[in-house]
Amino acid sequence: MTDMLKVRGLVKHYDTRRGIWGKLTGNQGALVQAVSGVDITIQQGKTLGLIGESGCGKSTLGRAILRLHEPTSGTIEFDGVDIINLDAEAMKAMRQKMQIIFQDPYASLNPRKTVRQIIGQPLKIHGKVSDAEVDGRVQEMMERVGLKVGQMNRYPHQFSGGQRQRIGIARALILNPKFVVCDEPVSALDVSIQAQIIELLAELKRDLGLTYLFISHDISVIGYVSERIAVMYLGKIVEEGDTHTILNSPMHPYTQALLSSVPQVDRTGVTKDRIRLTGDLPSPVDPPRGCRFHTRCQYASEICKTDEPLYQTVSGTHSVACHLVGNSG
Amino acid sequence: MNIPVLEIENLKTCFDTRDGMVTAVDGVSLKVNKGECLGIVGESGSGKSVTFGSVMGLVKKPGFIAEGSIRFNGRELVGLNGKEYRRLRGKEIAMTMQDALTALNPAYTVSNQIIEVLLAHDDALTGSRRSKKKQARGKAIEMMQLVGIPAAESRLDDYPHQFSGGMRQRIMIAIALSCKPTLLIADEPTTALDVTIQAQVLELIADIQDKLVMSVVLITHDLGVVAEYCDRVMVMYAGQIVESGPTRDVIDNPQHPYTQGLLNSIPRLSDLDRKITPIEGSVPELIGLAEECRFMGRCLKATDACKTLIEMRDNGVDHQVRCINAGMVL
Repeated sequence: MTDMLKVRGLVKHYDTRRGIWGKLTGNQGALVQAVSGVDITIQQGKTLGLIGESGCGKSTLGRAILRLHEPTSGTIEFDGVDIINLDAEAMKAMRQKMQIIFQDPYASLNPRKTVRQIIGQPLKIHGKVSDAEVDGRVQEMMERVGLKVGQMNRYPHQFSGGQRQRIGIARALILNPKFVVCDEPVSALDVSIQAQIIELLAELKRDLGLTYLFISHDISVIGYVSERIAVMYLGKIVEEGDTHTILNSPMHPYTQALLSSVPQVDRTGVTKDRIRLTGDLPSPVDPPRGCRFHTRCQYASEICKTDEPLYQTVSGTHSVACHLVGNSG
Repeated sequence: MNIPVLEIENLKTCFDTRDGMVTAVDGVSLKVNKGECLGIVGESGSGKSVTFGSVMGLVKKPGFIAEGSIRFNGRELVGLNGKEYRRLRGKEIAMTMQDALTALNPAYTVSNQIIEVLLAHDDALTGSRRSKKKQARGKAIEMMQLVGIPAAESRLDDYPHQFSGGMRQRIMIAIALSCKPTLLIADEPTTALDVTIQAQVLELIADIQDKLVMSVVLITHDLGVVAEYCDRVMVMYAGQIVESGPTRDVIDNPQHPYTQGLLNSIPRLSDLDRKITPIEGSVPELIGLAEECRFMGRCLKATDACKTLIEMRDNGVDHQVRCINAGMVL
């Protein structure tokens, strides 16, 4: 199995510190450490589910991988090519193979353009085909994602949330990409519509041999669509492994807490053994020293406050970053 | 012993829009008993928020209550004037809104917003206005501690934007609970929150519910939340209640095709190999609906017999369903 994507030591900081203006107004800003050294690998034709709470940096990671936000440091190897040093033109060509589906189907479509223009635009940008061919491809794509071809001259506001997400999917797939970042593609949708989109994405992956990075905060959805799961906390991956392993025998205390917090229809009453996390996610401007989770971890000991745990393999393809796991534990 | 706190009978709330009359709530009847937690499940546009907006007297033009009765502790609420409603709201019935950031006033400190409620409603405060304010401040600190805000005293004079999403939701709950209401209506209290924070907030509500013997209406779209926290559940679709009953009964033995469809369209952590089946199609427009089953267009079991007015019918103990095929083996 070949690796479609190999990310090593990816860092993305946003520097909001200001110069003279900041000094004058007293608003100094800060260095936001959104992604702090992430290693992930996705094999061709597989889905890696990326899970974490809001503000943990999962969307930033997805965008940094596509260089939509320029990474601060680290390497990204996509389909055997190191894309971090590609110039703008080469990167543009590469983007045909890597696309993204956004979370909000209301904000990610231009309200002044028709569906035909929205879905066809990537083809025009990459200058591949004549207008007639664009229309042909757009129609084909609309049918593929379950939209009526007769609606191609309508505007986004004339569609429901689920249909809009189908438009977003059609736009992302019209260039026949190999890899798609799905950034919370179903979070803004109602439950019954969510299932329609999940099934559509699964079908497209099967038929077109796509590779997904599927970002979500919903563990049930991630568990359903992914072969592997990576758990992110405050800019770092804390655990990664096969879906089955992560869901059935999570080792990192954060993963354990996350899983036990999910309300499930087949449980009654508040579960007594639920792991309760106290407090909120610390700020990525000033992440805790040592293990970033130690401020909320019930097992935290002295070493967790001072030393950062290594990200180590515990068995096969299961990796964890925790002092309590592995050699020391 | 079931003492009803809230009784809604055949409530019909309409909005007179340019495109026609929208019947957002169409003939909803329900009861909330003392100390129980009722879950209301439905997708956007199903009428769940409008139903309870009607209870709170928050439906404003072009919306109006066309028919029906809402009784709270035996007292009719439909037709109360603004003054009478203000005496009730915040004191006996309180509601928390989905989005805490827009529900809290960004221009006032948190202490201002909690104290405002106490000064308006709390009869236990005595003395001059100044001394009342001082007592209210003390109570505000207590409330913030109750909802688990660390360093409550020093954070009391912060503004809403200085708190995180989970903390803001707690502040709204603190405001809602400050006068110890008989009924709390929580509209999607955790939708905007992360799961670990969601668990904290829901357990907090359950905890306070026990302590104060308060009734809770939990409006949500998450069946998992309902399963874990609610005694009874009602499923709404296109302005109507389509199924209601004890939570376990409805979830383990759903009778309405829509409820079944909802349960089949969520992936379950406990059984990820189980294939999810989406409900095809989408919710109908609420304008000019014919007298027939509203789910018919998306229902796999629909027949010509569904093209008539369909009423709720009993299906087991305290379990009702709006479907002519319910209970039949198809």
